[in-house]
Amino acid sequence: MNRRNFLKSTTAAAVAQALPLHGFAAEGWRTFETVTRVEVKDSFGVARAWVPLPLEMDTSWQKAVGNSWSGNAKSAEVKHDGKYGISMLYAEWSDKEMNPVIEVTSRFMTRDRATDFSRPDTSIDLSAADRQFFTAPTELIPTDGIVKKMALDITKGAKGDVEKSRAIYEWIVDNTFRDPKTKGCGVGDVKSLIESGNLGGKCADLNALYVGLSRSIGIPARDVYGVRVAPSNYGYKSLGAGTPNVSKAQHCRAEFFAQGHGWVAVDPADVRKVVLEEPPGNLPIKDEKVVAARKRLFGSWEMNWLAYNMGHDVKLPNATKAPKLPYLMYINAEADGELRDQMEPDSVRYTITAREITV
Amino acid sequence: MLRFALALVLVGVAVLAPAAELKPWEGGATPPLAVEDLKGKPHDLSEYKGKVVLVNFWATWCEPCRAEMPSIDRLRNALKGEPFEVLAVNMAEPLSRIEKFSATLPLGFALLRDRDGSVSKAWKAKLLPASYLIGRDGRIHYVAYGELDWSSDAVRARVTELLQ
Repeated sequence: MNRRNFLKSTTAAAVAQALPLHGFAAEGWRTFETVTRVEVKDSFGVARAWVPLPLEMDTSWQKAVGNSWSGNAKSAEVKHDGKYGISMLYAEWSDKEMNPVIEVTSRFMTRDRATDFSRPDTSIDLSAADRQFFTAPTELIPTDGIVKKMALDITKGAKGDVEKSRAIYEWIVDNTFRDPKTKGCGVGDVKSLIESGNLGGKCADLNALYVGLSRSIGIPARDVYGVRVAPSNYGYKSLGAGTPNVSKAQHCRAEFFAQGHGWVAVDPADVRKVVLEEPPGNLPIKDEKVVAARKRLFGSWEMNWLAYNMGHDVKLPNATKAPKLPYLMYINAEADGELRDQMEPDSVRYTITAREITV
Repeated sequence: MLRFALALVLVGVAVLAPAAELKPWEGGATPPLAVEDLKGKPHDLSEYKGKVVLVNFWATWCEPCRAEMPSIDRLRNALKGEPFEVLAVNMAEPLSRIEKFSATLPLGFALLRDRDGSVSKAWKAKLLPASYLIGRDGRIHYVAYGELDWSSDAVRARVTELLQ
């Protein structure tokens, strides 16, 4: 049997028409597949790659189904960061392989999520350990000094975690902007962002600001890193994947924890994306599309998006001399001991395609 | 120029030779496995004690899973008469889909169904194909994540070792 040919992945796409866990469809679940193809260009010496995988933890809004890989890697295995539960496929090639390539197929299910603030459940709470974990600083998200001072100013007079979280959300929508010149999704250096006085950036900056401000006043919060996989069903061109090629559709969101409600979805960065990018562009803050997005994105997410992980300060396992990454949302690779720039597509050539699996 | 272009194409095509290997299992106790085959007949791993069992988690959308299945069949045929069984557990796909697959690739071993994916999760089968070699003592001895040539001498040696 000759299975060592590249056509097999396209054949797989043609053959695989299954609808896994189809019983879940009735409950609003949609099934998606992503195929990530990575090529480490101009490879000399041992090559390595790290491909983020769908969130392993099952939630009420996303479930992992499974992953598989094919390629010419010497070995590939699922690795974790050990702190945040980040799941990634780690691949390694021998120094004789001049054209390292791997394709990773992932299947997962998602469904839209929304918090009904009018119906709290007093039994929902966070353990003391988790509360401490999700209010702790990270290397780029300090929770003291200028960050805490800003959060206290913003939330002055607000009572309870939901009210304070909403105050932070509204403040970010009103006072930051999406900067189209920001590389990738931004770095998320919260202290520098505040100190510079220039509150521009993309999702990794603006939502990290949200997380930092929340954590600094004791509200558990976390960034959630992922990629958009389908168009928006709510009529927002800027909030969906326009084509099956989602190689540049990475997007991170945020959550805060509210006693009685659990983890609550927020996404102030996407409100600023609507302002800047929703056609015809540069919409006024009072435009009805902005107003509607602003209302919806405090408490809900449309799940045309795949969540990878919620991690910070990521040390890539087996990396030769990789510094800690602020997050793992992009494909990373190294060759001959040098880490390729994850935001520089020419050094690590990759494509991510996404499709919904329907009957 | 044409030759150069062809060479480039070939470089792009002649790749992809998956390289999973059997590794000693360090993941603890064998999780339970009680599933049904396509006809609804129950299969419980605990009933196979005394035999060497290959538990293979797979899906029709997983190309490496499909690719390695004939080699599993070859291994099974080579070990005919030995206490060796294959439990090929499909991960949460509709029955019609698995039946269609079964019709296109007839295999000598039963295809089983993990209807909601809960068994696969208990076995931590995150990367498909995920294969576990169970010894006659009922313990997992080896694991492989990814495509493997189950009819190779190296793999057969491992299975034979467990059959002793």
